[in-house]
Amino acid sequence: MISRREFLAGVSGSIGGVWPLLSRAADESVALPGKEGMIVRSHRFLDLEMPVEYANLFITPVEHFFVRNHMHEPSTLDVSKWRLSIGGEVEKPLALTLAELLKMEQRTVTNTLECAGNGRAFAVPHVPGVQWQKGAVGTARFGGPRLRDLLERAGVKPAGKHVMFGGLDEVPGKVPPFIRSIPIEKAIDGDTLVALNMNGARLTKHHGFPARVVVPGWIGAASCKWVTEIKVLDREFDGNFMSPGYRMPNQPVQPGEAVNVADTHPATALKVKSLIASPSDGASVKSRAIHIQGVAWAGEADIEKVEVSTDSGTTWQPAQLSKNHSRYAWRRWSHFWKAPRGGDYTILSRATDSDGHTQPDSVPWNPSGYLINVVDQVKIHVPV
Amino acid sequence: MFRYSLLLAGSLSFACLAVFVCLARPHAESADLLPGPVPAKFKTACLECHDAGIIVQQRLNKAAWTKEMDKMIKWGAVVDPGDRDVFIEYLTTKFPTDKEPYVAPRTAFKKMKHDR
Ligand code: HEC
Repeated sequence: MISRREFLAGVSGSIGGVWPLLSRAADESVALPGKEGMIVRSHRFLDLEMPVEYANLFITPVEHFFVRNHMHEPSTLDVSKWRLSIGGEVEKPLALTLAELLKMEQRTVTNTLECAGNGRAFAVPHVPGVQWQKGAVGTARFGGPRLRDLLERAGVKPAGKHVMFGGLDEVPGKVPPFIRSIPIEKAIDGDTLVALNMNGARLTKHHGFPARVVVPGWIGAASCKWVTEIKVLDREFDGNFMSPGYRMPNQPVQPGEAVNVADTHPATALKVKSLIASPSDGASVKSRAIHIQGVAWAGEADIEKVEVSTDSGTTWQPAQLSKNHSRYAWRRWSHFWKAPRGGDYTILSRATDSDGHTQPDSVPWNPSGYLINVVDQVKIHVPV
Repeated sequence: MFRYSLLLAGSLSFACLAVFVCLARPHAESADLLPGPVPAKFKTACLECHDAGIIVQQRLNKAAWTKEMDKMIKWGAVVDPGDRDVFIEYLTTKFPTDKEPYVAPRTAFKKMKHDR
């Protein structure tokens, strides 16, 4: 037991900063095989952000795909003993091996996965949580059996209204387990998968090996990793990560204001959003001819258009959308621009989706910093 | 409506061009992350489940730090009742809302992949 005085003495003694992470230069890199050039938001539990400059491909390589863990990854896993169970409100509970899942019809869905908290670092006032900036997002080809086929085999009873996923994350202390549910309608959508593959290879451990759920177009938290239990419920799962976790206020709240859970709803589909992959924020570009490019996505909707402003938002020009196009996947876009003269410029990108939603200049504050989808911006310097 | 600042907190410049040097070395253990005269009790209580990075990147006021502390205690952090307020005071002083942003480290990479 240390006394209050000793503790405070310790505190004042540390002023001037010996917490090296605070002053750690960005060139002190961390070896993490299979994950390259990623921003380490947290090492234990592992949370890795993709630098936004990597949002320049249609398919994000696994090495650059963001990682979001709420707790420890499974420390041991014996695939020969691993089973995926399907139970709850079903006629015939099942327990399937990986080999059995691989024998089922496999479907591939190209999906943009984004953490609900992507952009949280920009919330004012600040909110607690992983301080993601722009890159808790990526696009991958996920392959595996449809969840619907598994549910059909088990036979969902009429009472079944929600489907719950339990993973093998190792839960420390009295932390509530990371269990969430999705409505049955989304669960039986033909694109909702129990994915075994990512970009044509077996899932890696960080991404949920041997099996993860993929709920296309929805916040990443819906897509449970290391899934081992699927349970059909007669109502939404009641647990910390459904409530109060991952909920949005029904009405805008005052910044900093506490929100009554009764006045919230679960965060589900992602919102329309775009990112500028290049030029980089803060860049001093070499030439006045500038190729502005990035990506845009809209959850379950389609990208209708992306516009670019090179004059801090006064005027907007349409960007060109790339041909690569798949439902639930981001669209790449680009715009060539010749800067009229040297100087400092603010470049913005703004996407509009097929439901008519356009990225806003500002969004209402919410206590967890979810679904922040304001127009993107970078500041650059053009030589004279 | 409320405006979010779009200014990037940290620099996104690519400074980490190091190759893998120490493949097997786990990243700095908790001990490295909170050296110096940081009270041992705080480390014991708060770095059992996760390391310091998730704590030191927050920029919160006292009310928010109080909520975090109580959430962590509920989740299993062992904090002597007499230490709770001291820890909150400590976090509020060290990681206030107006402190400059935390600069996160990067993972090493072997080469840039430009296309596939
Ligand atoms: C029993 C395990 C455990 C202990 C002990 C613990 N934490 Fe945590 N902490 C967690 C988990 C789990 C998360 C991540 C939750 C998530 O990502 O959803 C977390 C996340 C955090 C965060 C990020 C914000 C958030 O709420 O997600 C902060 C800040 C934090 N902890 C502070 C502390 C402090 C300060 C202490 C010591 C009083 C402490 N923790 C002790 C389990 C623990």
